[in-house]
Amino acid sequence: MDIFNQLGNVIVSLFQSSGLCSLTWENYVMMAISFVLMFLAIKKQYEPLLLLPIAFGMLLVNIFPGIMADPVHKMLTESEIIAMGLDPASYTTTVLNGVTYYNYTENGGLFYYLYQGVHLGIFPPLIFLGIGAMTDFGPLIANPKSFILGAAAQIGIFITFIGAILLGFAPNEAGSIAIIGGADGPTAIFVTSKLAPQLLGPIAVAAYSYMALVPIIQPPIMRLLTTKKERSIVMGQLRPVSKLEKILFPIIVVVLVAILLPDAAPLVGMLMLGNLFKESGVVERIAKTAQNELMNIVTIFLGVTVGATATGQLFLTPKTLGIIALGLIAFCLGSACGVLFGKIMCWATHGKVNPLIGSAGVSAVPMAARISQKVGQEENPANFLLMHAMGPNVAGVIGSAVAAGVLISVLK
Amino acid sequence: MENINLALTLLLAGFIIVFAVLVLLIIIITIYGKIIQAVQKKSAERKQKKAEQKAQETPVKAAETVTPVEESTTTDNDGGIPDEIIAVIAAAVDAVYGGKSHKIKSVKRSRNARSAWGNAGVVENTRPF
Repeated sequence: MDIFNQLGNVIVSLFQSSGLCSLTWENYVMMAISFVLMFLAIKKQYEPLLLLPIAFGMLLVNIFPGIMADPVHKMLTESEIIAMGLDPASYTTTVLNGVTYYNYTENGGLFYYLYQGVHLGIFPPLIFLGIGAMTDFGPLIANPKSFILGAAAQIGIFITFIGAILLGFAPNEAGSIAIIGGADGPTAIFVTSKLAPQLLGPIAVAAYSYMALVPIIQPPIMRLLTTKKERSIVMGQLRPVSKLEKILFPIIVVVLVAILLPDAAPLVGMLMLGNLFKESGVVERIAKTAQNELMNIVTIFLGVTVGATATGQLFLTPKTLGIIALGLIAFCLGSACGVLFGKIMCWATHGKVNPLIGSAGVSAVPMAARISQKVGQEENPANFLLMHAMGPNVAGVIGSAVAAGVLISVLK
Repeated sequence: MENINLALTLLLAGFIIVFAVLVLLIIIITIYGKIIQAVQKKSAERKQKKAEQKAQETPVKAAETVTPVEESTTTDNDGGIPDEIIAVIAAAVDAVYGGKSHKIKSVKRSRNARSAWGNAGVVENTRPF
């Protein structure tokens, strides 16, 4: 009979420690959301490289919250240590009021340790290193005026900041929400981890969702703000850019931006280091590692741990709805400001610039540039805007990093 | 009210700083682009001039060098190397030695050597950091 009693006790304790007893309805809703995100990543292929790890991290943390648990530091008496079957000699001691306590630490969950790369702001600059090693700044060097469009698309960030303040968000939270308008995932995570780490989950999910939805969100805005004639403008060929110019570019940009805006230095510095690896041509192995292995490893860690910040209790709040709505507004405003500045450039150059390339000023490399190409080709199938749009597109990456530096320096 | 003031300040500051930094970059990149283009154009012109001068000074020698490589090549083709490969090797030699006069006497397959893939592997793994 004892055996049956023990078996019963084991089954009861297993049931009590299982998710069936400890999970709340919020956790189940989050699991459902993670399934939807996985579906979008796998079936629809919306930013699958990031959406899939994010969704799986979200799923894991909502089934087993302990995977993200902080390490626990306890002070135990000698009898408690012995009762746990541990050797007191292995622990340091603290004497309080004449009583000796043993310093005992319970390790945190797996994701807690991986999350330190996000928490300490390490992963986003490493992702930028990889992006830099993959980016060709040639179109931007050939047509430096593209920088204006990259700057214009950042206006949405600062207008949304006002909206977030009006909706009652604290300034640091408003800054983190507004940066979604930069359409740059690593930048959004970097700013949020510095200003409002508690909002990391909803902001990362909103930022990557909107980046994935660029092909749906941007074209109507572009068509609304431009005339058929403007969309049909064929732009002249870009001049060839020499190797020396490409090598000097990252050095000049990093010196200038890091001196003027030190808070943007980690992002811009790593972006330009990656680009120098690529353009110098003498460290091919390192450039390859930055583009592939390092980028992939960091993407996995960043994705799962950012997803793991989206626990039901933190995610399912009215704030998240506000973040998702404001993020969309920020993104639309950024695209619209880019197109409007494109129109100004079109007017200033007497019709030599197609305003459609302005919307590529929101980062989202290279998706936003592809959309400019696609919308332009709908009007004129012989029009190739891709290389022209890559200029504002990569300028947008630098622009959003500068905007991030401004937000951090003012709000931190 | 305090937060609204902060928001408006940030809007203006952000707008001005982002534009100022990027406009500064436009100016610097335009200037250095022009400088580099001018320098490279000058050096290209100088090279062209030198080449022209050389051609004028030694017309006979130049004529010799222009002679197609294939014609001046008497190859020892015992190794069974296809003619196309010899043509490619001759072109490569011509590309390396350019204006200087040269003559290919024989083309032999090297023995006991690593394959090209093997060499590439060794270079990849032993190149210093």
